[in-house]
Amino acid sequence: MRVLFIAAMLVATPALAAPIRVDINSGIAQPLPVAVPGFAATAVQSTEAGSTAELGGRIAQVIANDLKSSGLFRPIDPQAYTTTVGAADVTRPQFANWRTIAAQALVTGNVTVNADGNITVGCYAYDVFSAEELTRQGFVTTAAGWRRAAHKCADLVYSRLTGESGYFDSRIVYVSETGPRTRRIKRLAVMDQDGAGHRFLTQGQNLVLTPRFAPNQQTITYMSFEGNRPRVWLYTLGSGRQQAIGEFPNMSFAPRFSPDGSNLIFSMAVGGNTDVYRMDIATRRLSRLTTQPGIDTAPSYSPDGSRIVFESDRGGSQQLYIMAADGTGQQRISFGEGRAATPVWSPRGDLIAFTRLGGGRFSIGVMRPDGGGERLLTNAYQDEGPTWSPNGRVILFFRSARGGPVDLWSVDLSGQNERKVPTPLDGSDPAWSPLLP
Amino acid sequence: MTERQALIGAGIAHIMLFAALSLGWEWSQQPLLPADEMIPIEFVDIANAPRIKEAPRQSMQAAPQENSAPAAPAATAPPEPDTVPDGVPPLEKTKEVPKKAEAPLAEAKPLDMSKLSNLIDKALPKSRTRPLDVSKLATTIEAAAPKGATIDPRSAATIAQAIRAQVAPCWNPPIGGADVRRMTVLIRADFSRDGRLIGVPVIVSQTGVTIGNADYSRAFAETARRALLRCSPLKLPIKQYELWKSAEINFDPESMT
Repeated sequence: MRVLFIAAMLVATPALAAPIRVDINSGIAQPLPVAVPGFAATAVQSTEAGSTAELGGRIAQVIANDLKSSGLFRPIDPQAYTTTVGAADVTRPQFANWRTIAAQALVTGNVTVNADGNITVGCYAYDVFSAEELTRQGFVTTAAGWRRAAHKCADLVYSRLTGESGYFDSRIVYVSETGPRTRRIKRLAVMDQDGAGHRFLTQGQNLVLTPRFAPNQQTITYMSFEGNRPRVWLYTLGSGRQQAIGEFPNMSFAPRFSPDGSNLIFSMAVGGNTDVYRMDIATRRLSRLTTQPGIDTAPSYSPDGSRIVFESDRGGSQQLYIMAADGTGQQRISFGEGRAATPVWSPRGDLIAFTRLGGGRFSIGVMRPDGGGERLLTNAYQDEGPTWSPNGRVILFFRSARGGPVDLWSVDLSGQNERKVPTPLDGSDPAWSPLLP
Repeated sequence: MTERQALIGAGIAHIMLFAALSLGWEWSQQPLLPADEMIPIEFVDIANAPRIKEAPRQSMQAAPQENSAPAAPAATAPPEPDTVPDGVPPLEKTKEVPKKAEAPLAEAKPLDMSKLSNLIDKALPKSRTRPLDVSKLATTIEAAAPKGATIDPRSAATIAQAIRAQVAPCWNPPIGGADVRRMTVLIRADFSRDGRLIGVPVIVSQTGVTIGNADYSRAFAETARRALLRCSPLKLPIKQYELWKSAEINFDPESMT
């Protein structure tokens, strides 16, 4: 009787109304609908790059394009917006208006002209359904720098909503190509990650190949046939200065910087044997890292600088090898069908991207540094020369159509979201810069 | 006549070609200005957004900084055996539950028996993994009580299925993230009778959180919370409101990767 009484009491106690347990083991993988209305002008003023109201509109467009290009967000067509964003709405959004168009995140902000003529771009992100502010940050730059502010805002939103660092405020250096196959003109060119701000760095008198950014993004190393002597060169952005790294008697190529920017690694052909060398940039001291017969090339450092991945045909066909940064412990890591070339270590350190050659095709693949977990991300006629986005989520490469154009393309790490990167002419050999400071 | 036309045509074509070539030549001869130095950018703090009144207070608690806190709220913690009052039936009695539960089963005519047994089978092993199953305890107690019969495992399984079917399509986990395979989040949500959320769902616990993935685990937990907010109101049988007025939903993207 006593048992029953207590039991009955317990049933009546709310604490015992145990919550029902539900397990959800899958969801949907769809881009997140996001609204990016034009940024508000705190006061309509003119700047060298247009009025603050115009800038506000353009900034929102750049952010929307960035987010869309990641494949993880779906900016809602501004035509569907039921409201515009005034200065007061930036910090007090009308969430109900954004819920009705099913936006899950709202990115908004404002543009203010400072006393010194610079602009401050305020960037705010909100979760529409919980009506919470997610993040906010102000960016001060010149009026002409509004694009960088927009990319920084997009990076902020991307990292807050995905939990991973962004990659939009970054640049791409590549080889711009034009002319017939037999007399191809190749020029170094640099542009923002989204194709804006494109400019040529070299005139095209000399063939150039494999440009790569230094970690400080201000120097580019590349191979040029200047004076009919294929050698490794450095190009300094800002000054436009070009210099060969040394008067080697032999061909040097496939250069890359070390993660701390103090060394260059590249291949050099000496006496019929091509090996990987390291050069201390300050002292120009050269160290030979490989000695095996055959062609050792395309070296790339791990992000911590402790190891180097490279390609070698020492075993009979092109394959990937890993060694310590001093050249010790060389070990083959690629064993799949066909050949493997142009390895690049991910900025996260966990993967190596490379070109898989086989069956008359070139594809972009990734594998772990121990050689396991190989996956091919693309499947076209000829895709090669991968380079990683600064956050290690996207791979840029160049695609040659059969007898057709050569273009830059990007694909994300899951093999989804293949996109052509716009360039004025054909493009090859891209290299992605680190995130700009 | 036609010859003249042809000549004029050829002349025009030559002039155009010459113009195009000279333009192209001029363009390719333009001296290249050195690429600009990067335009500097500086980070500054900006105006506070006023606290938003629209959201209920719980939203602040749900701020996902606490994701890593492993402690579950008291309400969801399994009762400690020694805090259970003397009179609670001993544990062996819980084994009677499935038997007793068979009686109402026979009365539930419209239900598909085969499906139900599946649901029960699925539900049972999970409940066994818990240290001490609160719902089982409640059922036991209820079975002992004179009127009983509001909580029954098959209804619970059906309700869970209904919640799952409605919430899963709203869940958009960040797939492909650094640690997605090893991450789950348990969210507690309270519902009003019309199926609407009361307040903002609270993160009870999360697995797979490491020092290195704090930002990612926060974003992950928020996708689960957002799924519930988006799907509200849920369509659930009001007769069994007591069963679903409060739910703990475990989000685990295991089948997605």
